[in-house]
Amino acid sequence: MGLLDRLVVFLKIKKRQASVLVVGLDNSGKSTILNHFKPDEQKSIEIVPTIGFSVETFKIKNLNLTAFDMSGQGRYRNLWEHYYQDAQGIIFVIDSTDALRMVVVKDELELLLQHKDIKNRSVPILFFANKMDLRDALSSVKVSHALGLDSLCTKSWHICSSNAVTGEGVREGLEWLSEQIQLNLSNN
Amino acid sequence: MYARKDRKDDDDSAQGGNKWSGERSSVLQEARVFNKSPLDPKKCSQVLTKLLYLLNQGEKLSAAEATDTFFAMTRLFQSSDVMLRRLVYLGIKELASTANDVIIVTSSLTKDMTGKEQLYRAPAIRALCKIADAGTLQAVERYMKQAIVDKNGSVASGALVSCLHLLNQGCADIVRRWPNEVQEALNSDDAMVQYHALGLLYQIRMNDKLAVSKLISKYTKYNVKSPYALCLLIKLTCKMIEDEGYGTDCPMFNFVESCLRHKNEMVVYEAAHCIVNMKSTGPSEAGRAVAVLQLFLSSPKAMLRFAAVRTLNRVACNHPKIVMSCNIDLEQLISGTNRSIATLAITTLLKTASNESSVERLMKQIESFMTEISDEFKVVVVESIQSLCEKFPNKQGTMMGFLAKMLREDGGFEYKKAIVDTIIDIIHSNEDKMEIGLGHLCEFIEDCEHTSLAVKILSLLATKGPKTKNPSKYVRFIYNRLILENAQVRAASVSALAQIGSECPNLTNNVIVLLERSLMDEDDEVRDRAAYYLKILQKGNTDLFTQLTLSIHGLESALCEYLKSDMSVPFDASQITYEPPVKQAKPAAPLAVPEKKISPGKNVYQEEVLEVPEFAQLGNVFRTMPPIELTEPETEYVVKVVKHIFGEHVVLQFNCTNTVNDQLLENVSVEPVAMNGGWKAVHTIPIKKLGYQETASCFVCFQQPDLLDGAYNSGFTNTLKFTVKDCDPTTGEPDDNDGYPDEYVLEVFEVSLSDFIQKVANVDFVNSWEELGPENELEDTFVLSAYSSLQQAIEKIQDFLGMHACERSDQVPEGKQTHVLILAGTFVNGGRILVRARLAHDPTMTQGVTMNMTVRSNDESLPELILTSLA
Repeated sequence: MGLLDRLVVFLKIKKRQASVLVVGLDNSGKSTILNHFKPDEQKSIEIVPTIGFSVETFKIKNLNLTAFDMSGQGRYRNLWEHYYQDAQGIIFVIDSTDALRMVVVKDELELLLQHKDIKNRSVPILFFANKMDLRDALSSVKVSHALGLDSLCTKSWHICSSNAVTGEGVREGLEWLSEQIQLNLSNN
Repeated sequence: MYARKDRKDDDDSAQGGNKWSGERSSVLQEARVFNKSPLDPKKCSQVLTKLLYLLNQGEKLSAAEATDTFFAMTRLFQSSDVMLRRLVYLGIKELASTANDVIIVTSSLTKDMTGKEQLYRAPAIRALCKIADAGTLQAVERYMKQAIVDKNGSVASGALVSCLHLLNQGCADIVRRWPNEVQEALNSDDAMVQYHALGLLYQIRMNDKLAVSKLISKYTKYNVKSPYALCLLIKLTCKMIEDEGYGTDCPMFNFVESCLRHKNEMVVYEAAHCIVNMKSTGPSEAGRAVAVLQLFLSSPKAMLRFAAVRTLNRVACNHPKIVMSCNIDLEQLISGTNRSIATLAITTLLKTASNESSVERLMKQIESFMTEISDEFKVVVVESIQSLCEKFPNKQGTMMGFLAKMLREDGGFEYKKAIVDTIIDIIHSNEDKMEIGLGHLCEFIEDCEHTSLAVKILSLLATKGPKTKNPSKYVRFIYNRLILENAQVRAASVSALAQIGSECPNLTNNVIVLLERSLMDEDDEVRDRAAYYLKILQKGNTDLFTQLTLSIHGLESALCEYLKSDMSVPFDASQITYEPPVKQAKPAAPLAVPEKKISPGKNVYQEEVLEVPEFAQLGNVFRTMPPIELTEPETEYVVKVVKHIFGEHVVLQFNCTNTVNDQLLENVSVEPVAMNGGWKAVHTIPIKKLGYQETASCFVCFQQPDLLDGAYNSGFTNTLKFTVKDCDPTTGEPDDNDGYPDEYVLEVFEVSLSDFIQKVANVDFVNSWEELGPENELEDTFVLSAYSSLQQAIEKIQDFLGMHACERSDQVPEGKQTHVLILAGTFVNGGRILVRARLAHDPTMTQGVTMNMTVRSNDESLPELILTSLA
């Protein structure tokens, strides 16, 4: 990076660029969360299951984020790993009403953490305990217990409960993530 | 704007392209740039272009490589660069078949095809259909239906074409659910959309004849605007007319004819092209179409001239008289600057040429620009020369010289092959020209880079050489090959030498000396052959040059058996099943006049029947008819009959197919019962077992009744007899019960006189007629009341007698009221038959065609037989 570029970044004239990966089981609300960051005229009213992935771009706090919204269906989950390599942040969306599949979530999370493209890098992980408005939703604390996040000390992580339909809690979470990514970028 | 950029991009890749060829690994390395963040769209576009170039050059990626590249490429979806995105679509299409998990881009493509950016939509749909399977297609069905009826023409076209592809990708069921949308697209104003919609609609209904005919009759009435759609409609209509055998007076044909007056040239051409190519077209209809093409011949557009002359060239054989009317226009085209058009024009003229002097003039003209045209057209010229040789035997000398000249010039394999085939054809048909032809061929192999041609010529030299006055000349040519050529040619030379040596006793010793030199050849095959033939020649035993009359399979199994035994007794070849040599299946009787038999060729059926050991002693097959269907194509059991005519027997081969998946048929046989008492079945071979979807043949052999008695004509009623065993549809294993016998009545077929007559072409009719003389001549006059035109009558007579019309006498000039039809053929007993029929038809009378027929033969009973059969 040339001197001028540094200056530009320092003065925050030019926005930085980063890509994040959005993963989680099917029907956890990944596409719905991202739908909030689209400009109004592009918002889809009806969210259909994603097949494969789709790309969304938006900006949070001077950071241009490119989000890879991955499909959560069982047959596509093994395709997540193709995108680990260049992800500078991960958003892991959990359906907090689905206590039954919490073990599946845990498995997938462990697989992700053990992957060679994630293991040795500092990638901030943002957990959304989604669907908090529903009656039988687990609290974010309970979710983090269920996933064993307490013992996760190699990565910086944050969990917040959210309601993707209304957008409650979503922006706060993303702001945390963008701070973490900016921190990482300026460290490098 | 984007389109222009696009083209520029393509140009760049085409010019700079060569430097990337063979650099696939480096390009794959460069593809890592897709993973960089932030993306550099310009760089990525370049790399992707290189990658596409490599793939289009036929570079194959392994599944792992393709998958890696594919997933790297999917990251490019984050860029909003339009050019890059469109390149990504192309990349997806290219890699869709090799990479795994291509399904990953489904959502991204769906987003693009429904998005606002119009430039993305059509290519996204096309890419989507490449990666979609039945499952994902269902998920995006809604979007596809919307896209089909989209206002934007390119999007609708893209969707329709994608549907066409999907039909063949196993998603037919889903596509078939959208006929309403496709119908709506057919009403679009966009010419392309209309065309694609019609194409798709036809593909969807293709297997349903009724639906297709409804489709055609609906849209021929409805005013289709798009010229493309109209062309397609014309094609479909003509196919329908052909398939259903409609005449030229049906409304469908009227529609095609009305298109001759359309204002768009493309439509007019298509209509004319289809009309002249239809079988049912009579001279008057073809005349109108040719008139249109004639107008095109003088068009300022080269494309139209080319199309017209090409079509005329094709139909020149069927309607020479009509095409002749264009001769003046064609003559003008010869001197034009466009060589492709000139070549076609001149070959068309050659085909229609009526006298020998004009042929010579045309040949001179061809010669003048032979060097300027491409191989493809040279082949066209050679083909037309071949047909000329058949027509004007006297001109064969000139042609031969011309061909030899062409042979000396440079040219590709196809071209040389066409020339060599033509020369060989002349050699076979004309004894006088044999030596000259062989000389030209010898000269050709002196410097021939095509091994297969050299081998072919060598074997011809071996068979024809000994019949010439001076075979030793050919020994020298062949021996030269033995010194100079590759192993394959050397091996062929050895065989050829040996054959000449064995057939010309005075050369045997010389050949032995020459062969001895090949004993030291470096190639095994050549050495083996040389040693083998030397032994035989030294023994003076030439029997082994005749055809091997053993069944190869039988010999193989017998030898295997022998090897397993203790080999105490010498191998006995006499116990192997005898099989007549298949290669001699054509009647062997040599005829004095050079004649060429038009047999349907050695077809598969003929080989099948010759493999049956029981029929081996029947001799050679005289004729094998094309199969006749005895059932409707979609019944439980499908049976076709093939008639094989032998010297004294008739073998009926029934090809049976079982289409019931839960039945196993055993002991399947067909019982034909002749309506004429003279026919006696002597042998029946049933099928032992016939499973689901299997086809096998059972045979019935009849002793021929006394043909000369008039008993040859007979209908056969047929019953299929078999034992049914129920079986498991999945495994095909029969249940263990015994099954029950059942019968199935088949349709009737006939054996008629024409089956026993072989067509003979290339006869010098007048000479043969004189030669046969009036000893066995009969004459009779008939009134053929059923026919209303000469052409119709001629076709029926030809059909009935199964003989060949000589000198194109089956073509009647329009408006003529009398005509002479001359026919030639060979009867099953080897007797030659020549027929001269004078036909007269008065259009004002209603009573039909009057015919005076004279038959000559070298067999005294044949003329009577022919005439009584007609009566």
